[in-house]
Amino acid sequence: MSIMDRLLNLDPRIIFVLMFIALAFPILNPVILPMAIQDYSQKAFDFSDSIPEGSIVLFEGGLNAATYPQGGPGMVVQIYHMLTKGVKIVLFSIGTEQNVWTMTAIETALDKLPAGTPAENGVNWVHLGYIAGGEAGVGSLVNDIRATVSADYFGTPIDDIPLLEGINDATAFSAVLWWGGSEASIGYGVRQVSVPFDIPMTGMCTTNEVPNFSPYISAGQLQGLFGGVRGSAEYEFLLSLPGPALGQAMATNFGGLLWMLLVILGNVLYFIQRMRGEA
Amino acid sequence: MDAEILGLIAGSLVSLGAYSVLIGDNPISRITENIYMGILGGYIFAVNWDFIRKNALSKVAEGEFVYIIAILLSLMLLGRLKAKYMWISRYPVVLTVGVGLGLAMRTTVMADFLGQIQATVLPLNSFNNIVMVIGTCLTAAYFIFTTQESGVYKYIHTGGRVFLLCAFGVTYGQTVSFRMELVIGRLVAMLDPRVSMITYAFLVIIVVILIYGYKTNKIEWYTGR
Repeated sequence: MSIMDRLLNLDPRIIFVLMFIALAFPILNPVILPMAIQDYSQKAFDFSDSIPEGSIVLFEGGLNAATYPQGGPGMVVQIYHMLTKGVKIVLFSIGTEQNVWTMTAIETALDKLPAGTPAENGVNWVHLGYIAGGEAGVGSLVNDIRATVSADYFGTPIDDIPLLEGINDATAFSAVLWWGGSEASIGYGVRQVSVPFDIPMTGMCTTNEVPNFSPYISAGQLQGLFGGVRGSAEYEFLLSLPGPALGQAMATNFGGLLWMLLVILGNVLYFIQRMRGEA
Repeated sequence: MDAEILGLIAGSLVSLGAYSVLIGDNPISRITENIYMGILGGYIFAVNWDFIRKNALSKVAEGEFVYIIAILLSLMLLGRLKAKYMWISRYPVVLTVGVGLGLAMRTTVMADFLGQIQATVLPLNSFNNIVMVIGTCLTAAYFIFTTQESGVYKYIHTGGRVFLLCAFGVTYGQTVSFRMELVIGRLVAMLDPRVSMITYAFLVIIVVILIYGYKTNKIEWYTGR
C-alpha cells in the first residue's frame, strides 16, 4: 500500500490522538492568538450594556455539564454585568441538570463581584429553579408566575420574595437574556416571551446552533447572540473581565487548524489519486 | 477532601472511561456509560419529583384541588408500562401535544414566518443585502420540484445548490467546532493542576487494563471503520 493510500485510509484513532494533542497543548501551554469580536456578540453586549439601572430582566440558564465549560464563563460575566449595573435578575431553568449549573454560575459571579455591590438573594436576584414542561412551561411561567412555581430554588415561597412583589407575569421585565446552551430553546423565548410581550431579547447557544438562531437576529427578534466558547470569550474581553473562556477559545483555534489541515490534505490526495485514474 | 476536587477526580475518571470508546467498544466505556445513565436517570427523577411535590402536591394539600387533575394525568402516563393499559397513557400525551402545539402556534406565524420574510425583504443597497435576497430566492427555488431542470431554471437550480452547500459547510464547521469545545471543556477540568497527576494515573491504569484485555483476548479488538 502506497503512502497516499495509507494516508487516505488513516485509522481514525490516529486522528483522535492528534486532535487530543492539538486541544491539550494550548491548555497546558496557554497561547493567545489575535481575536476579532463578532458582530453578533458585539450587538448582544451593546444591548446588555444599555439595560437601564433598576430594570428587572428574565434570565434562562440552559447550560448543562457538557455545555457549561463553553457557555458558563459567559453566563457568569452576564450575571456579573447585570448586578454591577444595578439590574435585577429573575433566573430559571427548563432543564433538571441546567437548574444546578445556573446556581453554579450565580455563585461564581457573586464571588467575583466588587465589594459593596448589592447582590442579595431575593432582592437583587432570584433563582426560580427548574420549570417543567419545556415551551409550555415557559408559556405558563411568563403568563402566571405564581400558578407555575410556588417556591424558588431554595424553597422560599414566591410570596416571601421581595423582588417578585407585585410581579406575576412577563410585563414587568425589561429584557430577556436566554442562555440556552444546546437546549435549542431560544425559539421558546422568542415565541413565548419576546414576541407576545414585545420584550427585547438576547441569546446564547452552542457553536453548532448559531446558524439556526442567527435568522432571529436579522429579523430583529434577537438583539444579539453569543455563540459557544468564542461568544463567552468575547464577552469576557468586552467587559474586561478575563476568565477561562479566552484560553479555551485559543484551544479551539488549534483544533480548528488541525481539522482544516486534515480536510485539505484529504481533498488534495483524493484529487491527485483521481487525476492518476486510481480513484 | 474538598468536594470540588472530589468532583474533578470523579469527572476525570468518568471522562477517560467514556473517551476510551474511541479505541473501540470496551468494558470500561460500557461501565462508564451505564454509571452515567443510572446517575442521570436517578437525578432527573429526583428533581422532577421535587417539582411535583412543591408545585402540585403541596397545592392540593393547601386546598387547591384543581391540581388533582394534573396529578391524575401524570399517573395516567404510567399506563405505558403495561401493554394492556397503554391506551390510558394516550390521553395525557394527546393533551400535552395539543397544549404544546397550541402555545407554539400562537406566535409561530409572527416569530418564525412573517418575521423571517420581513427580514428578507431588504433594500438592495449593500453587498450583504444583495447576497441575502438572491440567496434566499435561489435556495427557495431549488425546492420547486415540478419544473424541468433546463434553460434558465438550470442556472437557478445550480445557484440554489451552491447557496445550500455554503450553508451546509457553515453548519458542518460549527458542529466540528462545537464538538471540539465539548472536549476542551473536559480537558480543562481533567488537566486542572490540582488533579492532573491523578488524571495521568487513571490514563495509565485504563491503558494497562485495555492492553491486558486485548493481549489475552478477553476484550475483542475493534477492527471496523
